[in-house]
Amino acid sequence: MLWTISGFTAPAVQKPVQKQLRMDSSKLILRNFDAEKIKAYTEQTEFSYKETPPDQDSLWARFWRWFWNWFTGVLENKTSGTFIKYGIIVALAALVAYIIIKAMGLDLKIFTGKSKMVEIPYSESLENIHEINFSGELDKAIATGNYRLGVRLLYLHALKVMNDHQLINWQPEKTNQIYIEELTDPVKRKHFGELTTQFEYIWYGEFFINKESFAEVKKDFDTFNGRRT
Amino acid sequence: MFNKRTDLTQLNTAVEQIRETLGKIIVGQKDTIDFLIAGLLADGHILLEGVPGVAKTLSAKLVAKSIDASFSRIQFTPDLMPSDVLGTSVFDPRNAAFEYRKGPIFGHIILVDEINRAPAKTQSALFEVMEERQITVDGHTYLMDEPFMVLATQNPIEQEGTYRLPEAQLDRFLFKIEVKYPSLEEETAILLNQHQHRLDDSLKAVQPVLSIDQVKSCRAIIKGLHVEPKLIEYVAKITHETRNNKSLYLGASPRASLAMVNAAKAFAAMQGRDFVTPEDIIKVATPVLTHRIMLTPDKEMEGLTTNDVIAQIIQKIEIPR
Repeated sequence: MLWTISGFTAPAVQKPVQKQLRMDSSKLILRNFDAEKIKAYTEQTEFSYKETPPDQDSLWARFWRWFWNWFTGVLENKTSGTFIKYGIIVALAALVAYIIIKAMGLDLKIFTGKSKMVEIPYSESLENIHEINFSGELDKAIATGNYRLGVRLLYLHALKVMNDHQLINWQPEKTNQIYIEELTDPVKRKHFGELTTQFEYIWYGEFFINKESFAEVKKDFDTFNGRRT
Repeated sequence: MFNKRTDLTQLNTAVEQIRETLGKIIVGQKDTIDFLIAGLLADGHILLEGVPGVAKTLSAKLVAKSIDASFSRIQFTPDLMPSDVLGTSVFDPRNAAFEYRKGPIFGHIILVDEINRAPAKTQSALFEVMEERQITVDGHTYLMDEPFMVLATQNPIEQEGTYRLPEAQLDRFLFKIEVKYPSLEEETAILLNQHQHRLDDSLKAVQPVLSIDQVKSCRAIIKGLHVEPKLIEYVAKITHETRNNKSLYLGASPRASLAMVNAAKAFAAMQGRDFVTPEDIIKVATPVLTHRIMLTPDKEMEGLTTNDVIAQIIQKIEIPR
Protein backbone atom coordinates (compact mmCIF):
# COMPACT_ATOMS: atom_id res chain seq x y z
CA MET A 1 0.00 0.00 0.00
CA LEU A 2 2.76 2.37 0.98
CA TRP A 3 4.58 1.45 -2.18
CA THR A 4 1.55 2.33 -4.23
CA ILE A 5 1.24 5.79 -2.63
CA SER A 6 4.92 6.55 -2.94
CA GLY A 7 4.74 5.30 -6.53
CA PHE A 8 2.03 7.88 -7.28
CA THR A 9 3.56 10.78 -5.43
CA ALA A 10 7.21 10.45 -6.50
CA PRO A 11 8.22 12.97 -9.15
CA ALA A 12 8.76 11.54 -12.62
CA VAL A 13 12.33 11.43 -13.69
CA GLN A 14 12.81 12.55 -17.28
CA LYS A 15 15.64 11.45 -19.41
CA PRO A 16 17.44 14.26 -21.31
CA VAL A 17 16.58 14.25 -25.01
CA GLN A 18 19.47 14.78 -27.34
CA LYS A 19 18.49 17.01 -30.31
CA GLN A 20 20.74 17.06 -33.30
CA LEU A 21 20.60 19.27 -36.38
CA ARG A 22 20.54 17.38 -39.57
CA MET A 23 22.46 18.66 -42.53
CA ASP A 24 20.51 19.11 -45.77
CA SER A 25 22.63 17.30 -48.20
CA SER A 26 20.21 17.46 -51.15
CA LYS A 27 21.54 19.05 -54.27
CA LEU A 28 20.18 22.39 -55.48
CA ILE A 29 19.82 23.15 -59.09
CA LEU A 30 19.90 26.82 -60.00
CA ARG A 31 17.38 27.64 -62.68
CA ASN A 32 17.32 30.84 -64.71
CA PHE A 33 14.67 32.43 -66.88
CA ASP A 34 15.21 31.87 -70.46
CA ALA A 35 16.42 35.23 -71.75
CA GLU A 36 15.17 34.57 -75.23
CA LYS A 37 11.71 33.72 -74.04
CA ILE A 38 11.58 36.90 -71.94
CA LYS A 39 12.65 38.91 -74.89
CA ALA A 40 9.98 37.27 -77.00
CA TYR A 41 7.33 38.12 -74.43
CA THR A 42 8.40 41.76 -74.05
CA GLU A 43 8.04 42.21 -77.77
CA GLN A 44 4.39 41.22 -77.57
CA THR A 45 2.03 44.25 -77.17
CA GLU A 46 -0.17 42.38 -74.68
CA PHE A 47 2.65 42.47 -72.14
CA SER A 48 3.50 46.12 -72.63
CA TYR A 49 2.13 48.19 -69.69
CA LYS A 50 3.60 51.52 -70.68
CA GLU A 51 1.12 54.15 -71.79
CA THR A 52 2.08 55.59 -75.06
CA PRO A 53 0.59 59.07 -75.43
CA PRO A 54 -1.36 59.62 -78.55
CA ASP A 55 0.34 62.13 -80.79
CA GLN A 56 -2.75 64.35 -81.15
CA ASP A 57 -3.04 65.10 -77.38
CA SER A 58 -3.23 68.77 -76.41
CA LEU A 59 -0.64 70.54 -74.29
CA TRP A 60 -3.10 70.63 -71.37
CA ALA A 61 -3.74 66.86 -71.57
CA ARG A 62 -0.03 66.19 -71.76
CA PHE A 63 0.55 68.36 -68.73
CA TRP A 64 -2.01 66.38 -66.69
CA ARG A 65 -0.54 63.10 -67.85
CA TRP A 66 2.88 64.29 -66.73
CA PHE A 67 1.42 65.48 -63.42
CA TRP A 68 -0.28 62.19 -62.65
CA ASN A 69 2.81 60.21 -63.65
CA TRP A 70 4.87 62.36 -61.33
CA PHE A 71 2.28 62.12 -58.54
CA THR A 72 2.07 58.33 -58.81
CA GLY A 73 5.85 58.18 -58.72
CA VAL A 74 5.92 60.28 -55.55
CA LEU A 75 3.25 58.13 -53.90
CA GLU A 76 5.12 54.95 -54.78
CA ASN A 77 8.21 56.32 -53.11
CA LYS A 78 8.39 54.88 -49.57
CA THR A 79 9.38 58.04 -47.66
CA SER A 80 7.59 60.81 -49.50
CA GLY A 81 4.61 58.54 -50.34
CA THR A 82 3.79 57.82 -46.68
CA PHE A 83 4.16 61.49 -45.78
CA ILE A 84 1.84 62.62 -48.58
CA LYS A 85 -0.75 59.92 -47.81
CA TYR A 86 -1.02 61.03 -44.18
CA GLY A 87 -1.03 64.66 -45.29
CA ILE A 88 -4.01 64.01 -47.56
CA ILE A 89 -5.86 62.16 -44.78
CA VAL A 90 -5.30 65.07 -42.34
CA ALA A 91 -6.37 67.64 -44.95
CA LEU A 92 -9.55 65.68 -45.75
CA ALA A 93 -10.38 65.30 -42.05
CA ALA A 94 -9.86 69.05 -41.54
CA LEU A 95 -12.11 69.80 -44.53
CA VAL A 96 -14.88 67.55 -43.19
CA ALA A 97 -14.60 69.15 -39.73
CA TYR A 98 -14.73 72.63 -41.28
CA ILE A 99 -17.84 71.77 -43.32
CA ILE A 100 -19.57 70.38 -40.20
CA ILE A 101 -18.69 73.48 -38.14
CA LYS A 102 -19.92 75.79 -40.89
CA ALA A 103 -23.10 73.75 -41.42
CA MET A 104 -23.89 73.99 -37.68
CA GLY A 105 -23.23 77.72 -37.76
CA LEU A 106 -20.64 77.53 -34.98
CA ASP A 107 -18.15 80.27 -34.38
CA LEU A 108 -14.67 78.96 -35.22
CA LYS A 109 -13.26 80.82 -32.24
CA ILE A 110 -15.51 78.94 -29.85
CA PHE A 111 -12.51 77.01 -28.55
CA THR A 112 -10.62 80.14 -27.61
CA GLY A 113 -13.48 81.17 -25.33
CA LYS A 114 -13.72 84.65 -26.79
CA SER A 115 -16.36 85.78 -29.23
CA LYS A 116 -15.29 87.25 -32.52
CA MET A 117 -16.39 90.76 -33.31
CA VAL A 118 -19.64 91.15 -35.16
CA GLU A 119 -19.20 91.69 -38.88
CA ILE A 120 -21.15 94.68 -40.10
CA PRO A 121 -21.89 95.18 -43.78
CA TYR A 122 -22.03 98.97 -43.30
CA SER A 123 -18.30 99.44 -42.97
CA GLU A 124 -18.02 101.92 -45.78
CA SER A 125 -17.77 105.47 -44.54
CA LEU A 126 -20.25 107.97 -45.91
CA GLU A 127 -17.53 110.53 -46.09
CA ASN A 128 -13.99 110.52 -44.84
CA ILE A 129 -13.27 113.87 -43.24
CA HIS A 130 -9.62 113.54 -44.22
CA GLU A 131 -10.49 113.41 -47.91
CA ILE A 132 -13.00 116.24 -48.16
CA ASN A 133 -11.84 119.42 -49.86
CA PHE A 134 -13.49 121.65 -47.25
CA SER A 135 -12.76 125.07 -48.76
CA GLY A 136 -13.91 124.02 -52.23
CA GLU A 137 -17.05 122.26 -50.98
CA LEU A 138 -17.88 125.14 -48.64
CA ASP A 139 -17.56 127.67 -51.48
CA LYS A 140 -19.89 125.54 -53.58
CA ALA A 141 -22.44 125.28 -50.78
CA ILE A 142 -22.39 129.04 -50.19
CA ALA A 143 -22.62 129.79 -53.92
CA THR A 144 -25.73 127.59 -54.24
CA GLY A 145 -27.26 129.00 -51.05
CA ASN A 146 -27.16 125.58 -49.35
CA TYR A 147 -26.29 126.98 -45.93
CA ARG A 148 -27.46 123.84 -44.15
CA LEU A 149 -24.80 121.83 -45.98
CA GLY A 150 -22.37 124.67 -45.25
CA VAL A 151 -22.89 124.27 -41.49
CA ARG A 152 -22.39 120.54 -41.82
CA LEU A 153 -19.08 121.08 -43.62
CA LEU A 154 -17.99 123.58 -40.98
CA TYR A 155 -18.75 121.02 -38.26
CA LEU A 156 -16.92 118.20 -40.03
CA HIS A 157 -13.97 120.53 -40.60
CA ALA A 158 -13.89 121.40 -36.89
CA LEU A 159 -13.78 117.67 -36.12
CA LYS A 160 -10.91 117.21 -38.57
CA VAL A 161 -8.95 120.11 -37.09
CA MET A 162 -9.43 118.76 -33.57
CA ASN A 163 -8.40 115.28 -34.69
CA ASP A 164 -5.29 116.67 -36.44
CA HIS A 165 -4.34 118.41 -33.20
CA GLN A 166 -5.02 115.17 -31.29
CA LEU A 167 -7.68 116.82 -29.16
CA ILE A 168 -10.14 114.10 -30.12
CA ASN A 169 -9.85 110.64 -31.65
CA TRP A 170 -12.15 110.77 -34.67
CA GLN A 171 -14.10 107.60 -35.41
CA PRO A 172 -17.18 107.54 -37.66
CA GLU A 173 -19.27 105.63 -35.10
CA LYS A 174 -18.69 108.09 -32.24
CA THR A 175 -21.45 110.51 -31.31
CA ASN A 176 -21.03 114.27 -31.01
CA GLN A 177 -21.44 114.02 -27.25
CA ILE A 178 -18.45 111.67 -27.06
CA TYR A 179 -16.28 114.23 -28.88
CA ILE A 180 -17.40 116.93 -26.45
CA GLU A 181 -16.43 114.69 -23.54
CA GLU A 182 -13.03 113.94 -25.12
CA LEU A 183 -12.06 117.62 -24.93
CA THR A 184 -10.13 118.16 -21.72
CA ASP A 185 -9.99 121.98 -21.81
CA PRO A 186 -13.28 123.21 -20.23
CA VAL A 187 -13.35 126.40 -22.34
CA LYS A 188 -12.99 124.49 -25.61
CA ARG A 189 -15.47 121.89 -24.42
CA LYS A 190 -18.09 124.55 -23.67
CA HIS A 191 -17.50 126.30 -26.99
CA PHE A 192 -17.62 123.07 -28.97
CA GLY A 193 -20.77 122.07 -27.08
CA GLU A 194 -22.45 125.27 -28.31
CA LEU A 195 -21.28 124.65 -31.87
CA THR A 196 -22.61 121.09 -31.65
CA THR A 197 -26.02 122.38 -30.56
CA GLN A 198 -26.06 124.76 -33.55
CA PHE A 199 -25.04 121.97 -35.91
CA GLU A 200 -27.69 119.59 -34.53
CA TYR A 201 -30.49 122.13 -34.80
CA ILE A 202 -29.55 122.96 -38.38
CA TRP A 203 -28.55 119.50 -39.63
CA TYR A 204 -30.79 117.06 -37.73
CA GLY A 205 -33.54 119.55 -36.90
CA GLU A 206 -33.51 121.09 -40.38
CA PHE A 207 -34.01 124.57 -38.94
CA PHE A 208 -33.96 127.25 -41.58
CA ILE A 209 -30.72 129.22 -41.88
CA ASN A 210 -30.24 132.27 -44.07
CA LYS A 211 -27.12 134.04 -45.31
CA GLU A 212 -26.86 136.32 -42.26
CA SER A 213 -27.29 133.49 -39.75
CA PHE A 214 -24.78 131.40 -41.65
CA ALA A 215 -22.23 134.22 -41.50
CA GLU A 216 -22.66 134.28 -37.70
CA VAL A 217 -22.26 130.52 -37.43
CA LYS A 218 -19.20 130.54 -39.69
CA LYS A 219 -17.61 133.28 -37.61
CA ASP A 220 -18.19 131.20 -34.52
CA PHE A 221 -16.58 128.13 -36.11
CA ASP A 222 -13.62 130.22 -37.32
CA THR A 223 -13.10 131.56 -33.80
CA PHE A 224 -13.17 128.01 -32.44
CA ASN A 225 -10.70 126.71 -35.03
CA GLY A 226 -8.43 129.73 -34.51
CA ARG A 227 -8.39 129.17 -30.76
CA ARG A 228 -6.85 125.77 -31.24
CA THR A 229 -3.73 126.82 -33.14
CA MET B 1 -31.12 132.03 -33.52
CA PHE B 2 -33.68 129.22 -33.69
CA ASN B 3 -37.34 130.10 -33.39
CA LYS B 4 -39.59 127.65 -31.58
CA ARG B 5 -41.41 125.43 -34.02
CA THR B 6 -43.11 123.25 -31.44
CA ASP B 7 -44.26 124.29 -28.02
CA LEU B 8 -42.88 121.71 -25.63
CA THR B 9 -43.39 123.78 -22.48
CA GLN B 10 -46.41 121.84 -21.24
CA LEU B 11 -44.76 118.51 -21.98
CA ASN B 12 -41.51 119.43 -20.25
CA THR B 13 -43.36 120.77 -17.21
CA ALA B 14 -45.33 117.52 -17.00
CA VAL B 15 -42.15 115.45 -17.28
CA GLU B 16 -40.50 117.45 -14.50
CA GLN B 17 -43.56 117.04 -12.30
CA ILE B 18 -43.63 113.27 -12.80
CA ARG B 19 -39.89 113.05 -12.12
CA GLU B 20 -40.36 115.06 -8.96
CA THR B 21 -43.32 112.94 -7.80
CA LEU B 22 -41.50 109.68 -8.38
CA GLY B 23 -38.23 111.03 -7.01
CA LYS B 24 -39.89 111.73 -3.66
CA ILE B 25 -40.45 108.01 -3.08
CA ILE B 26 -38.03 106.18 -5.35
CA VAL B 27 -34.40 106.78 -4.57
CA GLY B 28 -32.06 106.64 -7.56
CA GLN B 29 -33.37 104.64 -10.57
CA LYS B 30 -33.22 107.83 -12.68
CA ASP B 31 -32.96 105.92 -15.95
CA THR B 32 -35.87 103.67 -14.99
CA ILE B 33 -38.03 106.71 -14.25
CA ASP B 34 -37.04 108.39 -17.53
CA PHE B 35 -37.84 105.27 -19.54
CA LEU B 36 -41.19 104.94 -17.78
CA ILE B 37 -42.05 108.53 -18.70
CA ALA B 38 -40.79 108.05 -22.27
CA GLY B 39 -42.92 104.92 -22.61
CA LEU B 40 -45.99 106.79 -21.41
CA LEU B 41 -45.36 109.64 -23.87
CA ALA B 42 -44.56 107.30 -26.78
CA ASP B 43 -47.76 105.29 -26.28
CA GLY B 44 -45.91 102.08 -25.46
CA HIS B 45 -46.12 99.25 -22.98
CA ILE B 46 -43.26 98.64 -20.59
CA LEU B 47 -41.77 95.49 -19.12
CA LEU B 48 -39.80 95.98 -15.91
CA GLU B 49 -37.42 93.17 -15.09
CA GLY B 50 -35.47 92.74 -11.91
CA VAL B 51 -34.93 90.60 -8.87
CA PRO B 52 -37.52 90.88 -6.10
CA GLY B 53 -37.41 94.03 -3.97
CA VAL B 54 -35.93 96.60 -6.34
CA ALA B 55 -39.09 98.76 -6.58
CA LYS B 56 -40.42 97.49 -9.91
CA THR B 57 -44.03 97.35 -8.80
CA LEU B 58 -43.68 100.55 -6.80
CA SER B 59 -42.33 102.42 -9.84
CA ALA B 60 -45.19 101.20 -12.00
CA LYS B 61 -47.77 102.12 -9.34
CA LEU B 62 -46.29 105.59 -8.97
CA VAL B 63 -46.41 106.28 -12.70
CA ALA B 64 -50.02 105.19 -12.71
CA LYS B 65 -50.82 107.39 -9.71
CA SER B 66 -49.18 110.42 -11.28
CA ILE B 67 -51.80 110.36 -14.02
CA ASP B 68 -55.42 111.12 -13.35
CA ALA B 69 -56.59 107.93 -15.03
CA SER B 70 -58.18 104.62 -14.07
CA PHE B 71 -55.74 102.06 -12.77
CA SER B 72 -56.10 98.34 -12.34
CA ARG B 73 -53.76 95.65 -11.20
CA ILE B 74 -53.67 92.02 -12.26
CA GLN B 75 -51.51 89.66 -10.26
CA PHE B 76 -50.42 86.93 -12.65
CA THR B 77 -50.40 83.47 -11.10
CA PRO B 78 -49.91 79.98 -12.58
CA ASP B 79 -53.66 79.22 -12.42
CA LEU B 80 -54.86 82.51 -13.94
CA MET B 81 -57.20 82.02 -16.92
CA PRO B 82 -57.63 84.32 -19.95
CA SER B 83 -61.20 85.08 -18.86
CA ASP B 84 -59.84 86.32 -15.50
CA VAL B 85 -58.02 89.00 -17.48
CA LEU B 86 -60.37 89.83 -20.32
CA GLY B 87 -63.73 89.22 -18.66
CA THR B 88 -66.41 86.67 -19.35
CA SER B 89 -70.04 86.29 -20.42
CA VAL B 90 -72.34 85.41 -17.54
CA PHE B 91 -75.91 84.18 -17.94
CA ASP B 92 -78.40 86.63 -16.53
CA PRO B 93 -81.60 84.67 -15.65
CA ARG B 94 -83.70 87.83 -15.38
CA ASN B 95 -83.13 88.70 -19.03
CA ALA B 96 -82.47 85.11 -20.11
CA ALA B 97 -79.36 86.30 -21.93
CA PHE B 98 -75.61 86.30 -21.56
CA GLU B 99 -74.11 89.48 -20.26
CA TYR B 100 -70.45 90.38 -20.69
CA ARG B 101 -68.63 91.26 -17.49
CA LYS B 102 -65.51 93.29 -18.22
CA GLY B 103 -62.25 91.99 -16.82
CA PRO B 104 -59.53 94.01 -15.08
CA ILE B 105 -57.82 94.70 -18.40
CA PHE B 106 -60.34 97.50 -18.94
CA GLY B 107 -58.61 100.58 -17.65
CA HIS B 108 -56.06 103.20 -18.62
CA ILE B 109 -52.98 102.07 -16.77
CA ILE B 110 -52.80 98.31 -16.18
CA LEU B 111 -50.21 96.92 -13.85
CA VAL B 112 -49.56 93.27 -14.68
CA ASP B 113 -47.51 92.12 -11.74
CA GLU B 114 -45.19 89.12 -12.09
CA ILE B 115 -46.32 88.59 -15.69
CA ASN B 116 -44.05 85.61 -16.22
CA ARG B 117 -45.71 83.54 -13.49
CA ALA B 118 -48.68 82.78 -15.78
CA PRO B 119 -48.41 80.13 -18.52
CA ALA B 120 -48.45 80.89 -22.27
CA LYS B 121 -52.23 80.38 -22.55
CA THR B 122 -52.93 83.36 -20.29
CA GLN B 123 -50.13 85.41 -21.82
CA SER B 124 -51.78 85.00 -25.22
CA ALA B 125 -54.88 86.77 -23.92
CA LEU B 126 -52.87 89.99 -23.94
CA PHE B 127 -51.78 89.83 -27.60
CA GLU B 128 -54.75 91.59 -29.16
CA VAL B 129 -55.27 94.18 -26.47
CA MET B 130 -51.60 95.20 -26.34
CA GLU B 131 -51.22 95.68 -30.07
CA GLU B 132 -54.67 96.74 -31.26
CA ARG B 133 -56.05 98.30 -28.08
CA GLN B 134 -59.15 96.16 -28.32
CA ILE B 135 -60.43 92.77 -27.25
CA THR B 136 -62.78 90.42 -29.02
CA VAL B 137 -65.01 88.23 -26.88
CA ASP B 138 -67.97 86.18 -28.10
CA GLY B 139 -67.87 87.91 -31.47
CA HIS B 140 -67.95 91.42 -29.99
CA THR B 141 -65.03 93.82 -30.16
CA TYR B 142 -64.48 96.18 -27.26
CA LEU B 143 -62.15 99.15 -27.74
CA MET B 144 -59.89 100.31 -24.95
CA ASP B 145 -59.98 103.89 -23.75
CA GLU B 146 -56.98 106.06 -24.54
CA PRO B 147 -54.45 106.18 -22.96
CA PHE B 148 -54.01 102.44 -22.56
CA MET B 149 -50.72 101.30 -21.15
CA VAL B 150 -49.58 97.95 -19.77
CA LEU B 151 -46.86 98.14 -17.16
CA ALA B 152 -45.67 94.62 -16.48
CA THR B 153 -43.12 93.40 -14.00
CA GLN B 154 -41.24 90.15 -14.11
CA ASN B 155 -38.48 88.37 -12.32
CA PRO B 156 -35.58 87.18 -14.44
CA ILE B 157 -36.45 83.87 -16.10
CA GLU B 158 -33.89 81.96 -14.07
CA GLN B 159 -36.04 82.53 -10.95
CA GLU B 160 -38.15 79.73 -9.47
CA GLY B 161 -41.62 79.23 -10.98
CA THR B 162 -41.30 81.57 -13.93
CA TYR B 163 -41.89 81.07 -17.67
CA ARG B 164 -40.27 82.81 -20.61
CA LEU B 165 -42.78 85.13 -22.28
CA PRO B 166 -43.75 84.28 -25.88
CA GLU B 167 -41.74 86.23 -28.49
CA ALA B 168 -44.95 87.66 -29.95
CA GLN B 169 -45.79 89.18 -26.60
CA LEU B 170 -42.29 90.45 -25.89
CA ASP B 171 -42.37 92.24 -29.25
CA ARG B 172 -45.41 94.20 -28.03
CA PHE B 173 -43.47 95.88 -25.25
CA LEU B 174 -41.84 99.16 -26.23
CA PHE B 175 -39.13 98.84 -23.58
CA LYS B 176 -37.73 96.18 -21.35
CA ILE B 177 -36.17 98.04 -18.46
CA GLU B 178 -33.73 96.14 -16.32
CA VAL B 179 -34.05 97.43 -12.78
CA LYS B 180 -30.74 97.07 -10.99
CA TYR B 181 -29.85 97.00 -7.33
CA PRO B 182 -29.35 100.46 -5.78
CA SER B 183 -25.84 101.69 -5.01
CA LEU B 184 -24.60 101.79 -1.42
CA GLU B 185 -25.43 105.49 -1.13
CA GLU B 186 -28.87 104.96 -2.63
CA GLU B 187 -29.59 102.05 -0.31
CA THR B 188 -28.58 104.18 2.68
CA ALA B 189 -30.86 106.94 1.46
CA ILE B 190 -33.75 104.47 1.08
CA LEU B 191 -33.28 103.32 4.67
CA LEU B 192 -33.02 106.88 5.97
CA ASN B 193 -36.17 107.94 4.14
CA GLN B 194 -38.34 104.99 4.88
CA HIS B 195 -37.41 103.36 8.15
CA GLN B 196 -39.77 105.66 10.07
CA HIS B 197 -42.53 105.97 7.48
CA ARG B 198 -45.08 103.56 6.11
CA LEU B 199 -44.78 103.21 2.35
CA ASP B 200 -48.58 103.11 2.02
CA ASP B 201 -48.83 106.58 3.56
CA SER B 202 -46.27 107.94 1.09
CA LEU B 203 -48.18 106.39 -1.80
CA LYS B 204 -51.49 107.82 -0.61
CA ALA B 205 -49.93 111.27 -0.57
CA VAL B 206 -49.10 111.08 -4.29
CA GLN B 207 -51.39 113.31 -6.33
CA PRO B 208 -51.96 113.09 -10.11
CA VAL B 209 -49.97 115.68 -12.03
CA LEU B 210 -51.22 114.91 -15.53
CA SER B 211 -54.75 114.57 -16.86
CA ILE B 212 -55.83 112.15 -19.59
CA ASP B 213 -56.22 115.04 -22.03
CA GLN B 214 -52.70 116.24 -21.25
CA VAL B 215 -51.31 112.77 -21.91
CA LYS B 216 -53.18 112.65 -25.23
CA SER B 217 -51.92 116.12 -26.13
CA CYS B 218 -48.29 115.23 -25.28
CA ARG B 219 -48.54 112.06 -27.37
CA ALA B 220 -49.85 114.04 -30.34
CA ILE B 221 -46.95 116.49 -30.08
CA ILE B 222 -44.42 113.66 -29.97
CA LYS B 223 -45.95 112.00 -33.03
CA GLY B 224 -45.26 115.16 -35.00
CA LEU B 225 -41.60 115.56 -34.08
CA HIS B 226 -39.02 115.75 -36.84
CA VAL B 227 -36.71 112.85 -37.75
CA GLU B 228 -34.09 113.49 -40.41
CA PRO B 229 -34.20 110.82 -43.19
CA LYS B 230 -30.60 109.75 -42.55
CA LEU B 231 -31.55 108.97 -38.97
CA ILE B 232 -34.45 106.82 -40.16
CA GLU B 233 -31.91 104.96 -42.28
CA TYR B 234 -29.66 104.66 -39.23
CA VAL B 235 -32.47 102.99 -37.25
CA ALA B 236 -33.16 100.64 -40.18
CA LYS B 237 -29.47 99.69 -40.35
CA ILE B 238 -29.42 98.81 -36.64
CA THR B 239 -32.54 96.65 -36.94
CA HIS B 240 -31.36 95.08 -40.18
CA GLU B 241 -28.06 94.12 -38.60
CA THR B 242 -29.85 92.22 -35.83
CA ARG B 243 -31.32 89.97 -38.54
CA ASN B 244 -27.93 89.21 -40.13
CA ASN B 245 -25.80 89.04 -37.03
CA LYS B 246 -24.21 85.64 -36.51
CA SER B 247 -24.56 85.87 -32.75
CA LEU B 248 -28.33 86.15 -33.02
CA TYR B 249 -30.89 83.44 -33.64
CA LEU B 250 -33.83 85.87 -33.83
CA GLY B 251 -33.54 89.42 -35.11
CA ALA B 252 -35.75 92.43 -34.43
CA SER B 253 -39.01 93.04 -36.29
CA PRO B 254 -40.11 96.16 -38.20
CA ARG B 255 -42.22 96.89 -35.12
CA ALA B 256 -38.91 97.29 -33.29
CA SER B 257 -37.77 99.92 -35.81
CA LEU B 258 -40.98 101.87 -35.32
CA ALA B 259 -40.63 101.53 -31.57
CA MET B 260 -37.08 102.87 -31.74
CA VAL B 261 -38.15 105.94 -33.72
CA ASN B 262 -41.13 106.65 -31.42
CA ALA B 263 -39.08 106.19 -28.28
CA ALA B 264 -36.28 108.41 -29.65
CA LYS B 265 -38.87 111.11 -30.35
CA ALA B 266 -40.12 110.89 -26.77
CA PHE B 267 -36.57 111.25 -25.45
CA ALA B 268 -35.90 114.20 -27.78
CA ALA B 269 -39.05 115.92 -26.46
CA MET B 270 -37.98 115.24 -22.88
CA GLN B 271 -34.72 117.07 -23.69
CA GLY B 272 -36.71 120.02 -25.04
CA ARG B 273 -35.96 119.32 -28.71
CA ASP B 274 -38.49 118.87 -31.47
CA PHE B 275 -36.12 116.74 -33.52
CA VAL B 276 -34.24 113.51 -32.99
CA THR B 277 -30.45 113.16 -32.79
CA PRO B 278 -28.34 109.98 -33.05
CA GLU B 279 -27.87 110.11 -29.26
CA ASP B 280 -31.62 109.68 -28.75
CA ILE B 281 -31.59 106.58 -30.94
CA ILE B 282 -28.59 105.10 -29.16
CA LYS B 283 -30.18 105.83 -25.79
CA VAL B 284 -33.31 103.81 -26.62
CA ALA B 285 -31.73 101.08 -28.76
CA THR B 286 -30.90 98.68 -25.92
CA PRO B 287 -34.23 98.78 -24.00
CA VAL B 288 -36.14 98.59 -27.30
CA LEU B 289 -34.18 95.68 -28.78
CA THR B 290 -32.94 93.60 -25.85
CA HIS B 291 -36.16 91.58 -25.39
CA ARG B 292 -36.88 91.30 -29.12
CA ILE B 293 -33.74 89.46 -30.13
CA MET B 294 -32.46 85.99 -29.20
CA LEU B 295 -28.90 84.75 -28.97
CA THR B 296 -27.76 81.56 -30.68
CA PRO B 297 -27.34 78.73 -28.15
CA ASP B 298 -23.54 78.68 -28.47
CA LYS B 299 -23.30 82.43 -27.80
CA GLU B 300 -25.60 82.04 -24.83
CA MET B 301 -23.31 79.33 -23.47
CA GLU B 302 -20.32 81.61 -23.98
CA GLY B 303 -21.97 84.07 -21.60
CA LEU B 304 -22.70 86.74 -24.19
CA THR B 305 -25.83 88.84 -23.57
CA THR B 306 -28.21 90.54 -25.97
CA ASN B 307 -27.06 93.88 -24.54
CA ASP B 308 -23.46 93.03 -25.54
CA VAL B 309 -24.52 92.28 -29.12
CA ILE B 310 -26.57 95.49 -29.36
CA ALA B 311 -23.56 97.46 -28.11
CA GLN B 312 -21.33 95.77 -30.72
CA ILE B 313 -23.81 96.62 -33.47
CA ILE B 314 -24.05 100.27 -32.44
CA GLN B 315 -20.28 100.58 -32.21
CA LYS B 316 -19.89 99.42 -35.80
CA ILE B 317 -22.49 101.54 -37.55
CA GLU B 318 -21.45 104.98 -38.69
CA ILE B 319 -23.27 107.91 -37.11
CA PRO B 320 -25.05 109.88 -39.85
CA ARG B 321 -23.53 113.31 -39.73
